[in-house]
Amino acid sequence: MVDIAIMLKQMDVHRAIQDLQNRTLAGYPRALDRLIYLASTRDYNTGVYYHDGLAARFTEEVACQALADCHRAVFRELSSCTLKDLVSQVEGYQNSTHTNLAEFITAWRKLEPYRVAIPVESDPLSAEFLFSNLKIALAILETHLNTPPKLEPVSWQRPSLAQ
Amino acid sequence: MIQLILFLVIGAVLFCSLYFLARRGSHSEGGTEALLEARTALDALRVGLLPPEIIGRILAKEDMDYMVLEAPAGLRALFFDERKRIALLWVGQVRRQVISLSHFHRHSARFYGQLRPGMEMRLAAEFAGLLLACRVVQCVLYFTGPYSVPNVMEKTAGAATRICALSEKSLGFLRPMYQSTSQ
Repeated sequence: MVDIAIMLKQMDVHRAIQDLQNRTLAGYPRALDRLIYLASTRDYNTGVYYHDGLAARFTEEVACQALADCHRAVFRELSSCTLKDLVSQVEGYQNSTHTNLAEFITAWRKLEPYRVAIPVESDPLSAEFLFSNLKIALAILETHLNTPPKLEPVSWQRPSLAQ
Repeated sequence: MIQLILFLVIGAVLFCSLYFLARRGSHSEGGTEALLEARTALDALRVGLLPPEIIGRILAKEDMDYMVLEAPAGLRALFFDERKRIALLWVGQVRRQVISLSHFHRHSARFYGQLRPGMEMRLAAEFAGLLLACRVVQCVLYFTGPYSVPNVMEKTAGAATRICALSEKSLGFLRPMYQSTSQ
């Protein structure tokens, strides 16, 4: 009897995850955006996730479980992406926030908001690895501030006098 | 009078022995905790620290190539320092979990009749070897960095995986007990 109840709940969680992925998370193209969004649905005092739409369609418990599962999956995805990909994700996220790059880098360096954006039960090594990669990504983006824009391709260059 | 003092001293010694034995006994009775600790250490090693993809990710050649070819030269030092820190963290965690596991085998395992002494002796030797190897790897990583000695980390993980398999075999009888205690 208990097994059936657990199985039914698991099926509900699975459907809630599908729903979350198809509706809400589909609007976030990058794993970093999804991680930050999912972390924002979590109450900092209790660690419980809330989502009104999901809770209305399923139950608060199922919604919480689905959000937590998605959060863990996104964290794994982000932890395993390459440094190059992470740099482009941070850059994309910064562009989507419409903030100044210098201000963004300063804020992320000082506040380290990503430290509170990971799932509670993340293993320390993976968490530190992601933080380390983000630190390097921010340093790489900082160099973009001082680097002059890249030259246009040859076909777009002004014709020389000889031509 | 002397006899009385003698008896009092013997009584005090017996009382102290009884006290220490009782303390040891109560400590070992916290067996469930020790079992959970051992199982947690084993799971942390097998799932979180030893899979080859974890080491592959820390030492990703793709990341190094990106830093060498595309990232500004000034940032390479930061990248190598960070990777060194993560590699040292990895070895430190492997060592901590191995100590936790060996602690269980040394202090609590004798309370379980199902364990085989031969296997425990072999494990003790393997634990000692691995802990020594972890220290050596820590020194090597500290002085040379992880990219200079990629095989060292892989070999350490291999040795730890072998020990995990032995320990798992040795603690196999704990699985149902662990499941019932963790529920």
